[in-house]
Amino acid sequence: MKKKIILLIVTLVLVVGAYSGYKHLYKAHRNIETEVAVMEVDAFKLKMFFKRNKTEEVLNKTVSVYGIVTGIEGNTITLEDMIQCSFDGELPSVKIDDQVSIKGRCIGYDDLFELVKMDQSTLTKK
Amino acid sequence: MNKTFFILLLCVGLVAVTNAQSKWSTKTGNLVFEASVPSFEEVKATNNSVSAILNTETGAFASLALVKGFRFKVALMEEHFNENYMESSDFPKAVCKGKLVNFNVNDLKDTFSDFTMKGTITMHGVTKPIETIVKLKKTNNEIELQSNFILKPEDFDIKIPGIVSKKIADEVNVSANYSLSQ
Repeated sequence: MKKKIILLIVTLVLVVGAYSGYKHLYKAHRNIETEVAVMEVDAFKLKMFFKRNKTEEVLNKTVSVYGIVTGIEGNTITLEDMIQCSFDGELPSVKIDDQVSIKGRCIGYDDLFELVKMDQSTLTKK
Repeated sequence: MNKTFFILLLCVGLVAVTNAQSKWSTKTGNLVFEASVPSFEEVKATNNSVSAILNTETGAFASLALVKGFRFKVALMEEHFNENYMESSDFPKAVCKGKLVNFNVNDLKDTFSDFTMKGTITMHGVTKPIETIVKLKKTNNEIELQSNFILKPEDFDIKIPGIVSKKIADEVNVSANYSLSQ
């Protein structure tokens, strides 16, 4: 009887362990769309975080940025010639000069074009 | 006085115009690397927002990829890549700067031809020389650039711990695909 209980416990531990191990190894990606933005700023302000070396406040964070659409290229929308937001799926229908608000994950600053780049973006306001 | 100023202004304007004409660029270049080992989980990531500029007058080339922009299929792999290997909070960029040897924009055809690029790659705080073949073709309003090369993590001071080192190849295959426009 005692042996049976021990066996049962051991199996249970193994199953739970394996399951949580699997869960950890194959955990889901962050869902930027459902994450709450840590800040809501205009394009210039977001760029200034990089210019003033305060990158850790925004890098890899979900931020909401607003401004006027100045460029549409491939799967990206550029705001105020300062923030380039790339979208995973199809681009939302926006035109140059539209005032929009976009939420995405800030991935860094591109010195070549002096642009802040965001990915996994979603259009939040138009 | 006024006249000289005007001529000077015109010259500056002309220089700016010619410069703009010889610069071909993209902000949405595609960079893929793969370090898979057979029978283990695929180690592969893609970055679709790589910036690149080619100066067709001088053959000078520059490309910048944000390390956090590389996306993996497995979330934990992406996390380890950023936090343990590339340390992307401290070293957020991977930059390639170089020059195409004997480059002349008039040699470009509408089918791919090979050019040699000599330059440097900087990432994880380490700069290494690189020499690789770059394929280029030119259509009406686009220059397409393709390149494949191999990088070694150890060259860039990227340490991969013993337990996982079997699952990650020593040589990382990198392929770049850029559509440059004016």
